[in-house]
Amino acid sequence: MAVNRVGAVLVAGGGVAGIQAALDLAEGGFRVYLVDEAFALGGKVPLLSRTFPTNECSLCSFSPWLAECARHPNLTILTNTRVEDVAGEPGRFRVILRRLPRGVDPEQCKACGECAAVCPVEIPDAFNMGFSTRKAIFQPYPQAYPRAFAIDRGACLECTLCVAACPAGAVTLDEPERTREIEVGAVILCPGYEPFDPTPLENLGYGRFSDVVTGLEFERLLSVGGPFGGRLARPSDGRAPRSIAWIQCVGSRNRALGREYCSAVCCMAALKAAVTAREQAEGPLETVIFYQEMRTFGKGFERYRRRAEQAGVCLWRAGVDSVRQVEDGGLELRYADEQGAGRRVFDLVVLSVGVQPPSGAVELARRLGLKPDRHGFCTPAAPGGTAAVRPGVFAAGAFAGPKDIAGAVIESSAAAAEAAALLAGARGAEKRGETLAPGRDVRKEVPRVGVVVCRCGTNIAGVVSVPVVVRSAEKLDGVALALEMTHACSEDSLSRIRDVVREYGLNRLVVAACSPRSHKPLFQQVLREAGINAYLCEMANIRDHCAWVHTNARVATAKACKLVAMAVAKARLLEPVIDVTVPVVPAALVVGAGPSGLAAALGLAEQGFEVHLVEKEAQAGGGYRPGPGDGLPDAQSVRSLAEQTLQHPLVRFYPDNEPVAVDGHVGQFHTRLRGGQTVRHGTVVLATGAREARPDGYLYGEHPAVCTLTKAERQPDPDAGTVVFIQCVGSRSKERPYCSRTCCRRSLQLALKMKEVDPERNIYVLFRDLVVYGADEELYTCARSRGIVFIRYQPRGEPALAPAGKQVTVAITDPVLKRPIRIAADLVILAAATEASGDSRALAHLFKVPTDRDGFFLEAHTTLRPVDFSAAGVFMCGDAAGPKTLSESLLEGRAVATRCAAVLSKGEVRARGVYARVSPDRCAACLRCVRVCPFNVPVIVGNTSRIEPVQCQGCGICVAECPNRAIHLIGYRQEQLLALLRAGLREVAG
Amino acid sequence: MIVAEAKSFAEVAEMVSSFPRLLVAACAGCTAICGVGGVRQAEELAAALRIHFRIRGVALETEVAGVTRQCEPEFIEELAAAVGRTGAVLSLGCGVGVQFLADRFPQVPVFPALNTRFVGGLAAPGTWEERCRLCGDCILHLTGGICIRARCAKGILNGPCGGSQDSRCEVGDDVPCAWSLVWERLSALGRFELLAQIRRPRNWANGNGGPRSSGGASG
Repeated sequence: MAVNRVGAVLVAGGGVAGIQAALDLAEGGFRVYLVDEAFALGGKVPLLSRTFPTNECSLCSFSPWLAECARHPNLTILTNTRVEDVAGEPGRFRVILRRLPRGVDPEQCKACGECAAVCPVEIPDAFNMGFSTRKAIFQPYPQAYPRAFAIDRGACLECTLCVAACPAGAVTLDEPERTREIEVGAVILCPGYEPFDPTPLENLGYGRFSDVVTGLEFERLLSVGGPFGGRLARPSDGRAPRSIAWIQCVGSRNRALGREYCSAVCCMAALKAAVTAREQAEGPLETVIFYQEMRTFGKGFERYRRRAEQAGVCLWRAGVDSVRQVEDGGLELRYADEQGAGRRVFDLVVLSVGVQPPSGAVELARRLGLKPDRHGFCTPAAPGGTAAVRPGVFAAGAFAGPKDIAGAVIESSAAAAEAAALLAGARGAEKRGETLAPGRDVRKEVPRVGVVVCRCGTNIAGVVSVPVVVRSAEKLDGVALALEMTHACSEDSLSRIRDVVREYGLNRLVVAACSPRSHKPLFQQVLREAGINAYLCEMANIRDHCAWVHTNARVATAKACKLVAMAVAKARLLEPVIDVTVPVVPAALVVGAGPSGLAAALGLAEQGFEVHLVEKEAQAGGGYRPGPGDGLPDAQSVRSLAEQTLQHPLVRFYPDNEPVAVDGHVGQFHTRLRGGQTVRHGTVVLATGAREARPDGYLYGEHPAVCTLTKAERQPDPDAGTVVFIQCVGSRSKERPYCSRTCCRRSLQLALKMKEVDPERNIYVLFRDLVVYGADEELYTCARSRGIVFIRYQPRGEPALAPAGKQVTVAITDPVLKRPIRIAADLVILAAATEASGDSRALAHLFKVPTDRDGFFLEAHTTLRPVDFSAAGVFMCGDAAGPKTLSESLLEGRAVATRCAAVLSKGEVRARGVYARVSPDRCAACLRCVRVCPFNVPVIVGNTSRIEPVQCQGCGICVAECPNRAIHLIGYRQEQLLALLRAGLREVAG
Repeated sequence: MIVAEAKSFAEVAEMVSSFPRLLVAACAGCTAICGVGGVRQAEELAAALRIHFRIRGVALETEVAGVTRQCEPEFIEELAAAVGRTGAVLSLGCGVGVQFLADRFPQVPVFPALNTRFVGGLAAPGTWEERCRLCGDCILHLTGGICIRARCAKGILNGPCGGSQDSRCEVGDDVPCAWSLVWERLSALGRFELLAQIRRPRNWANGNGGPRSSGGASG
């Protein structure tokens, strides 16, 4: 193509999806503009109290991602900025951005909060859903990035008190709107979702009764950072509720509202909220979820549901008619279930409202020439991809259809892969690298420690007497210089630190300020720029650990002195760390040439990386390959993907082959194949698929009229007048306590096809919960309208099959009619479970990666790193990681391509500064480190443990476990920590 | 591997109470691997003893040193200088290590910090199981690789006995019946005929009087 491509990408939307796409591309060497209309990054995730299915604090697990964005040299964050227009062509777009006034210069603002302290305006806090208040000048939320404050134009009185109060002169009330133009090669839209507003559903009482809240509002009520500080309370009177009801599908699966789709996340969100509420409740709490279908299809979801039920969460299948207030302030639900109508009173009612695309984003999509569907979702032009109808524009996350965090993360990584493939030639063209000056060798020098004590505006100085801390620091052994700064992290302070390090010949730096988690990299960078090894920097957190938690100035000052003395004592013993790097072989090994493996291989090849694709069978395609895949729906599309992949000049295909021995680590793997070849590669993708479990019972293998779904899919027009589908055969059972995710969808597709071929056919679907999420809900609606009969059964009420000549008699009790029914079936189709293939365990062993209890690969983090293993450089995709639909598998394949490309494009992998080192003469080869390491890094070689620096994550578990003290962690040597402790226990003068 | 356990702290403190200086000697062999005899445990024990005596008004000086194996004369030679400085040794080796130290340094008292339990292997993290009785008359080839002397409560040569219920031994709920394991293993190996053979009682006359030795003149 003639167009000269730009190595930059616009990512619109700074929620979890946008952040993932932006970080992936920035890591891969592209320049990224991450744009969000809000004043801070984060989107919806920071609002959540916890995330399912792990129950982790949402913000705690997510905030490192925010910090990473803030720090990345290739990433430009543009908050309070709106995308106005995109012109040009794929590879070279001109984007017009409008910067909305913030009122505060984020470069100058130190987030000291003095502006908000003087602001006279008190308005409902949108972050806390209006349950608490904030000022007109405010920080969106405490962990927000940018940390800078912002002015709410609608509420500001322009009294200028904040302008006068700001010590940094950062407030400008009359800041104009500005537009700017940037040039990018591709655009990724991740504007996320907004919750459905249930106010129009007057029967549910939202807006009329203050104790009827939405799911997102309830998240704030539960959050430790929320209006009640994590104490479970109802909004109306702040009292602890004794009973809470959830109403599911509010604004979802609703034809009357024209909202037919399933919002996909509300079932798990409600279960999680109920479990969390029970944990946080001080007294007994009744928790009832009123639902129609409980859709627990994700990894670990079904187990979560079981645990929730065991913990006492009541799942009540009933339709709720209305909510009304009764005399004592309680809320009465009128409902109807299989037993008939009923009513019940609760203290609090949570509406599980559905998700919808943000209206502004839908307008933007239309402006850009995209074609959102009738609900406003920007669905992909082709399933399994993220490309929108306009070339060069991609959509991911909840904006492309309702999905959970893991789904959004996968999809945005997939979008990054497609954008990167488009711009492959321009990778690195706009990258902003770091230039590192070689550090002076200070090992033989006497320690000369420089101590910087930060006032942090009034954050520290308001409680701690900073001059006293400086004077006490001056007296410490090894301290050559101590000084105070108003904001040590401001640009002028940083350049002053750089100067004094040189001027005074300092060789250690101690910064007594805030959290090393957020700020240590900054001060390390300054030290590096001053020509000193970055690891000779230490911090004392006298803000969070001292000024913020003490009010008595004298005591707090003494403690700050002590914290500084401790940091200095440790700093004197710090050693320089030489960065360990290993070159990266820019090739990937993909094991398994099913749909996801093919998508990964093609995604990598399209980005310019060599791929070694190994397949056990003679042909590519996995379950869709010629032979077993003949006649399957989608077989054609998978085969054309296979053809395209195998024809790519960068793909080497090894059929009839498999890895038998692996050596090395991220960047440098050497894998021997059964065929005798040795492959060198930098990353590994395990895409070995799963298999259909053989059904147990239901006359399977005994009667010719009974077959599995996969077999039936090849014959959509069987010679059968009556067809019975039985769902959950072997899934959600004791042996396999998980949902196989795809069978309901595939059964309904097949049933509809059968009806289409012969509308006279009788089709029955016997099911437990019909799991068709997102837009697939339409299949269910459609099937019912075509006369397909759905009969629900419960465990222990499974259908009973008896042979009746060529037919099979299916007996089941209809829960609505409450009568036994007998169906004379010509064909019984068993939706058999998907189970892990035996290969997965063998491969897991070979590559030293874990599998979960069901034999599927275990990801590094269920929600935020869904395709990564915790071991660096090893990734997973497709059914081998858990059952999924074809589109989901393809997306995962693409996502993995992005994750690999980030490693392969770098040229080298660098060890973190903190890694474990083994003293071989002390090692007893006891294997403890090998057994306890969560990342499988240590190996015993020649009778001693070997820990590869680039693989080590620096957690220190092996150090604590080693019985012979043969391992230490850089920067955390025993003598360093003992020196620190001794200094803390010594009496401090000052 | 020799499996050892730490003695109670009170017992060790009592043992060494009249010595002002103490060498705490670690062993990087079996006891380190058991997590009771390495340098880490030696340092921890030394610190705990110092604190124990300090709060009772008694000064104790400790030195910590480790060797590759305390059951080798060449390795324990490395401790000679430290033994000379301290005049008493607390050994974190197995019983063999303690004795080798006592033989090499007959002029100083040597104390055992551990109880040496058995010969075994790791069954689960932190759990070791006995697998060998050191009987000197191995018949593992006849029992499918399962030592009935170590693992059958009765050590009977022709089992199982009547106390085997549902593959469990009558001595306790969690103890598998060793003979039941033998039965399963031999069935799997297709060597059922071995179970039909009656084994004669062991000849206790051979080599069970006094300390055993192997190799060299006594072989």
